[in-house]
Amino acid sequence: MKMTKIYEGAHQWIMFGRDENKPDNIIDSNQYIVRTANKCLLLEPGGTELFAPMMAAVLHHAPVEQITDLFASHQDPDVISSLGLWDQALSNAKLHAPALWEGYIRHFGCESIQYVPIPDNGETIKIESVELQIIPAHYLHSPCGFHVYDPQAKILMCGSVGSAFEAPGAPVFVERFDVHVEKMRYYHQRMMPSNQAKRAWVDRVRNLDIDILAPQHGRMFKGDDVKRFLDWFDSLQVGTGI
Amino acid sequence: MNSQTKSQFIAVASITSELSAVMVVAKEISLAAANAKAIAFRAGDKAKGFQPITDFINELAKETIELVTNINVYALLLYRLTVNEYRRTAAYNRFEQVAKLAVGARYADSMQEPISTARTIMQDCQRQFKRDVTQLLGQLEAVMHHARAARVIAANSRIEASQAGEYLQSLQAVAESVDKAAHTIHDNVQRCRIALSIYRNS
Ligand SMILES: [Fe+2]
Repeated sequence: MKMTKIYEGAHQWIMFGRDENKPDNIIDSNQYIVRTANKCLLLEPGGTELFAPMMAAVLHHAPVEQITDLFASHQDPDVISSLGLWDQALSNAKLHAPALWEGYIRHFGCESIQYVPIPDNGETIKIESVELQIIPAHYLHSPCGFHVYDPQAKILMCGSVGSAFEAPGAPVFVERFDVHVEKMRYYHQRMMPSNQAKRAWVDRVRNLDIDILAPQHGRMFKGDDVKRFLDWFDSLQVGTGI
Repeated sequence: MNSQTKSQFIAVASITSELSAVMVVAKEISLAAANAKAIAFRAGDKAKGFQPITDFINELAKETIELVTNINVYALLLYRLTVNEYRRTAAYNRFEQVAKLAVGARYADSMQEPISTARTIMQDCQRQFKRDVTQLLGQLEAVMHHARAARVIAANSRIEASQAGEYLQSLQAVAESVDKAAHTIHDNVQRCRIALSIYRNS
């Protein structure tokens, strides 16, 4: 599992992905942690297959008992099917996940972890002194989804938005946006159902001060590529599966 | 899923399927008893010895149905336990994998506690399963006992039937069907017991 520190301040952001031992037939995904002095938030913990390498990687940054919070942007298995395993490993943790999906996500196993439902209009969660904004991203692609914005680190963990599928070992940041666009186009057109939802999201996100866009699959966007992505997505026609 | 877990799932699932067949047959016996009672009543004195036998057959069938109903509830618990044990074992195996992958990680040691907790829970599940299987085997034994008793009664019925004059054939048919049904129950329950016996407390 490759680990990349993407923010270092009073707290840290670390991106995990590109696991070399991942079975070929499951899609690669990015996991993130927000590490504070005594706590650790796991964003998009990942699928069952990824649990062991992911947990082992987290142990480079935090002891098990300090993994206190999990976040799932939506209900898909590549996002959170490992829940049943985290549930048995963590003795004192919360899962922040969409209220709408509670009964669904619990199918993955959620007995000792406390499910903290996120209301449709989002909320703010606090990990020690770090305040994170949970931003609605409904119909992108899931009917109910949320992204996580850290105003201090200026990072937006944008779940499925900005995702692309890459060859194993691909770099973690976009290097040439024009080349990268082709890896994203079909996914966004086919998986995102609503132009209206897309527009609302772009309008909202343009008001945030963002250094890094961190999607769940593929490469992250930084610097000018953030605006490039927003412009590109804004003008893309989505919902083409009909 | 390893083959041990797979066969455990199959063994538990087979109880329910074998027992539903037992249930059908037990109901048949109950029906045969009612039938025999009517014949014995018509036969009057000629089937005097047969009448108490029909009551006995009926009671036996009822008791078998009751036993099987209880066992089915128990089998469902056993199934849940199997699912739980499977989940616990899967987690334990993953945690061991984490420990291997985390060698050299700064906080690798913190994994020891979840591993030992998971091991204890997994072993508890295994012990509980063995205990419950042993108990279930006891209950199955009771059903077998009933089936054996039914066969003895069927043999007696045949003797009584031979003295029933023109009712001989119909009463013999009753004895025959009880015997057949008891045989089926015996065989089905025996299969359950064989499937489960490898998991019992030794
Ligand atoms: Fe998804």
